[in-house]
Amino acid sequence: MTGVWRIPAALAVLSVIGLAAAILGDGVWDWLCWATLSVPLVVCAAKLWRQWPA
Amino acid sequence: MTPASLRGWRLVHRWTSLICSANLLILCVTGLILVFHHEIQHLMGEELDSSYTEGQARLPLQSLVDIARKADPKLEPKLLSFDPEDKAVNYIYLGPPEESGFELGRWVVLNGFTGANQMLKQPTETLVGFLLKLHVDLFTGFAGQMFVGVMGLLFVVSTVSGLVVYGPFMKKLAFGILRFGRGTRIGNIDLHNLFGVATLVWAFVVGLTGAILSFSPLITGYWQKTELAAMTARHPEPMTGSMVSIDRVAEAGLAAFPGKDLAFIAYPGNEYAGSRHFSVMVRGHTELTQRLLSVALVDAETGVVAEAAGTPWYMTVLMLSGPFHFGDYGGLPLQIVWALFTIVTGVVTVTGFIVWLKRPRARAVSAGRDASEAKLGSKA
Repeated sequence: MTGVWRIPAALAVLSVIGLAAAILGDGVWDWLCWATLSVPLVVCAAKLWRQWPA
Repeated sequence: MTPASLRGWRLVHRWTSLICSANLLILCVTGLILVFHHEIQHLMGEELDSSYTEGQARLPLQSLVDIARKADPKLEPKLLSFDPEDKAVNYIYLGPPEESGFELGRWVVLNGFTGANQMLKQPTETLVGFLLKLHVDLFTGFAGQMFVGVMGLLFVVSTVSGLVVYGPFMKKLAFGILRFGRGTRIGNIDLHNLFGVATLVWAFVVGLTGAILSFSPLITGYWQKTELAAMTARHPEPMTGSMVSIDRVAEAGLAAFPGKDLAFIAYPGNEYAGSRHFSVMVRGHTELTQRLLSVALVDAETGVVAEAAGTPWYMTVLMLSGPFHFGDYGGLPLQIVWALFTIVTGVVTVTGFIVWLKRPRARAVSAGRDASEAKLGSKA
């Protein structure tokens, strides 16, 4: 896999895990869901924060 | 990928996105609020009365049906529906004796513990009802719902084609680069690419499940006309005597599927039941199994189960589309995550539109838009 796809693919895998986790159970499954599904959002926020024109 | 096929994918991405963008924005704004519909209904005092004291026994179903019938004695009970999340909330559909569908009658909502009757407000009378109607069918009924479903499918194609054109575009660019100092178009392209690719799986899943839910009347209609109709056709006996009580019917249905909860009970003559058989539909009670329905036909005169079956795969897909569209299966933190993803998707929609608006124009502005459109088709 080339560099272009490395991070998007990782975010996609985390998203799939997150979306599936909470339907499989409660408690630890919910936490897994919240944690993994937050990563793409945090990446968006961080990239925006760091490169926002001063 | 050949340059020709990349050009094709760009055209697909451009037009599927453009066509659904206006509707998509409405869906994002209404959806963003609807994610919190429970909380809003609570704040606005629009939620249904589901209070009961711990350990209180449920009223027999028969007495709920009797209470419901007082709402309109000319109508007969046709269907009972049980809320999976809130066991105090029971919906009862009453219709004219000859009706098999759900057009001419009315719904009554009862508290299953106290029997308290609650008037269902018209969708336009409540904030959540208004937003939901706008979200689901743009206030234009079945046709509007199908329209929104098609827009959902276009959105799904737009996410996939967006992913295809992302790769070649980003070949020489670092992931997440945001070149804000390089003009409106470049800045918006970068933001569109980052937000779009980061949230792609979520957007794909929510778009696809939304489209599936839009087509739910067609999907349940197909099941009802094929598998369910074949099942009831195997038990064509007419009613000759009187019915056993609805509670006995429910018990028989539940006994056929140990450990399950009631989902729906359709009376004989309803399109989801037989001529003399009740349909008792049940579901499990975990996040996953409450979306899997099974159905038992119960003889209305003897209270005996005539046949029991699961539902086909497409009904399971439809039922599972609910949580993956609403984001209501992982508590408040998931609702917040869902709302944030919705905002990001809104940003992707708007930035994509700006990128299209700011597309480089062919030489002369006055050269005629059609000609320049045709040339630019390959660029944006």
